[in-house]
Amino acid sequence: MKNSKTEKGNILLIGIGNSGRRDDGLGWKFTDMARHLGYKEMDCEFRYQLQVEDVLMVCRYEKVVFADASHTSIKEGFEIKPIKPAGHYFFSSHMQSPETILYLAKELYNKTPEAYTLAISGHNWGLGTVLSRAAQENLQKAFRFFKSRFVLSSKESAE
Amino acid sequence: MTRKITIDPVTRVEGHGRVTIHLDEYGQVKDSFFHIVEFRGFERFIQGHPYWEAPVLVQRLCGICPVSHHLAAAKAIDQIVGVDPTDLSPTATKLRRLMHYGQVFQSHALHFFYLASPDLLFGVDAPAEKRNVVAVAVENRELAVKGITMRKYGQEIIKAVAGKKIHGILAVPGGVHKTFTEKERDYFLDGKNIENIDTMIEWSLAMVDFMKGYHEANRKFLDDFAYFPSGHLGMVNDFGGMDLYDGKLRAIDSEGKRTLDDISTNLYQDYFLEAASQWSYMKFPYLKQLGREKGWNRVGPLARINVCDFITTPLADKARKEFIAFTGKKVNNSTMYSHWARLIEVLHCAEEMKLLLNDPELMGSDLVRKGTPRHKGIGIIEAPRGTLTHHYEVDDKGMITKCNLIVSTTHNNDAMNTAVRWVANNVISRKGHITDGMLNQVEVAIRAYDPCLSCATQAMGKMPLKAELYNDKGELIDEKFKN
Repeated sequence: MKNSKTEKGNILLIGIGNSGRRDDGLGWKFTDMARHLGYKEMDCEFRYQLQVEDVLMVCRYEKVVFADASHTSIKEGFEIKPIKPAGHYFFSSHMQSPETILYLAKELYNKTPEAYTLAISGHNWGLGTVLSRAAQENLQKAFRFFKSRFVLSSKESAE
Repeated sequence: MTRKITIDPVTRVEGHGRVTIHLDEYGQVKDSFFHIVEFRGFERFIQGHPYWEAPVLVQRLCGICPVSHHLAAAKAIDQIVGVDPTDLSPTATKLRRLMHYGQVFQSHALHFFYLASPDLLFGVDAPAEKRNVVAVAVENRELAVKGITMRKYGQEIIKAVAGKKIHGILAVPGGVHKTFTEKERDYFLDGKNIENIDTMIEWSLAMVDFMKGYHEANRKFLDDFAYFPSGHLGMVNDFGGMDLYDGKLRAIDSEGKRTLDDISTNLYQDYFLEAASQWSYMKFPYLKQLGREKGWNRVGPLARINVCDFITTPLADKARKEFIAFTGKKVNNSTMYSHWARLIEVLHCAEEMKLLLNDPELMGSDLVRKGTPRHKGIGIIEAPRGTLTHHYEVDDKGMITKCNLIVSTTHNNDAMNTAVRWVANNVISRKGHITDGMLNQVEVAIRAYDPCLSCATQAMGKMPLKAELYNDKGELIDEKFKN
């Protein structure tokens, strides 16, 4: 496999969602905030949905975080949890799960990055680009956690 | 007691559709329908927007074929600013063509490797859990890796010219907004960062050979499955060669007789009408002079191979000749040959991309032309799934007053319904019980046309696909829901 890009870091953050459907844009908003932190160790990408070929991108990193909005009401407003490869498949070509992408990375390219999903609770899924107030609060909580506990700990362990 | 079978959602197609099959009291198929159940609205809400927004707005019709809509709209909007295809600068034309070939290449690769290959590799009766790209990846790693890489190559071409893989922008009224750099060109040619274009051609050739071998091994099934005579429609250049970006409209009947003789795309309204039904949001286009029953045509790879006299690139034309020689028929009416035809087009696009990438005019600086503004513009291209028409009319202030979209999948509406009927009659009728494998064959028939149901209905939101079985009293007695 040839890499199309020089890696600048070993963490990939993928924001998933649609910023035109209000709180479905949480994953993108979160990723955009993280991008502005300017961490050299982290690359940021944005996706409406995960597609099979995203496996090529995921394979280049040691750690991958999939950030997405959640329809589920999470007590803390967000939840970050480790995930493993799993070979389930969604019927459409343009909507795969993070676990499926990891599965393909393992099967096709023998790569198993450490991976997490970051789910942030959303409430309003209508047309529009403004997050609901509750979603904004959840976003801030998730971002504070990510910044202090996740990215910084990754930096420390790398050092 | 009659019964009705429903497949909902139909899987491994782009969009949300539903199949219903009605059985009589003896288990014989009475009727069958391929319904498109999403609401159609784009043509309406684009009205009132300024014409220059159209090539950007219409991309939101679909996340699968945004490039096709972008370019068809751009061709129409060129005319609004008084620029015909022949007046566009060579650099603008070539950049748009490169984007288009990249789109067809990646779209066909996606369809073959992700959607169709599970049926071909594992058989139409294989267990449902095996009929997907994950299983292909496990059992045929090389094929999966090639598929993913080819898809990525086409997407990288789109990203290079339009800035993004999905919903990027290249075309502006009368041309393009950016040129190509040497660095961008070399990225696709030198093989340092990604596989190069020669590898894409080599892999495309291998896939065409694979498909020929597959046909040799499974000839009867592929010849007979969902076979039916029909018209075929596509675009050709002035010499009768296949042209996916610009040309004239040609249609033939099931035996090769011309039913539409290389007409200007601007005259499409003189020749086509669209019918509606109560059971689907997708319309039924047909040729006026032949009428609703006989005037419909298949579009897409198989139709394009059938209507053209030759393919403009040598390797693909050689493959076309072998394709024709295989059956000895002037016109191929077998649904399952669509897959072979699609791979020949993959090869054609790879050859065209190589020619363009090596053309210095791709890096020219003459990007936009101007002309005398008009009130009407019609843009037609051959999208991956077939002939795509965008028609706009504007007022004196340049605001859109009319928008008519005839999307490729819409042309194939009758063909897909006929294919479903074939499977219902030949596979399901009078069998006593219905298996998952039987229902998958309904999907196989639809899948051969690679329908994009989101485009065809201009729908928003999630679009799964479903099948239902009804008895003679209209009661739902079985259904499949794949989500």
